[in-house]
Amino acid sequence: MPPIPTRGITIAGFAVLVAAMVVLEILARRPGSRIPTVGEWLGYLMRPKLGRILVLAGWMWLGWHYFAR
Amino acid sequence: MARDGTTTTQRDHPGRWPRPLTQRRPAHLALLALLGAGLAVYAWVVAGTAPFTRGALIGVLIPGAVLGTIALVRPPERIPPPDELDMTGMSYWVICLAAFFEWEASAWRDSSWPWHPSFTNLIDPLMEPHLIKSAAILVWLLAGWALVRR
Repeated sequence: MPPIPTRGITIAGFAVLVAAMVVLEILARRPGSRIPTVGEWLGYLMRPKLGRILVLAGWMWLGWHYFAR
Repeated sequence: MARDGTTTTQRDHPGRWPRPLTQRRPAHLALLALLGAGLAVYAWVVAGTAPFTRGALIGVLIPGAVLGTIALVRPPERIPPPDELDMTGMSYWVICLAAFFEWEASAWRDSSWPWHPSFTNLIDPLMEPHLIKSAAILVWLLAGWALVRR
């Protein structure tokens, strides 16, 4: 029995999820859409000061994780 | 289309594209072009630093400190956030994000590269070309500015 191609399954999983998020963003930008855009829900999360600090900290972490290490 | 040139979508969702066109003076456009060029050069320089070095760390910390200071001391005019989110619409995002983090967490837990690579394992080789890494850093910088405006 051939081994299960777990690497391919993992990559496909990430690809499907990223594609789904791109599709969601496109759908959100249609006029009258009930789906919020990324900017809208991030803006909503950043209404309280703590949310603003956490979102900006997340942005900083992304930069550190992908560009500094 | 209203008298002020905005559409219903633009008034209901002020952060959404297409945004109303605003007249910009040539000096303003020149300043924007200069800022864009400066950011591109900065991204190019930071992309050239080796990972796990002080230079790479400082290259990430400087934009964080600058944007953090702007956000605290002199925040720009913010795009008004929505008063509430549609729960059904938001649930699609929550499902996608939860699935993504679950998938990432399982890869991290298994720690079995190359059979079950994490998202970072997949992204890192893609960012090896200097130009791609520079572009990614530039997108990250612009995303930071977009967050400060929200």
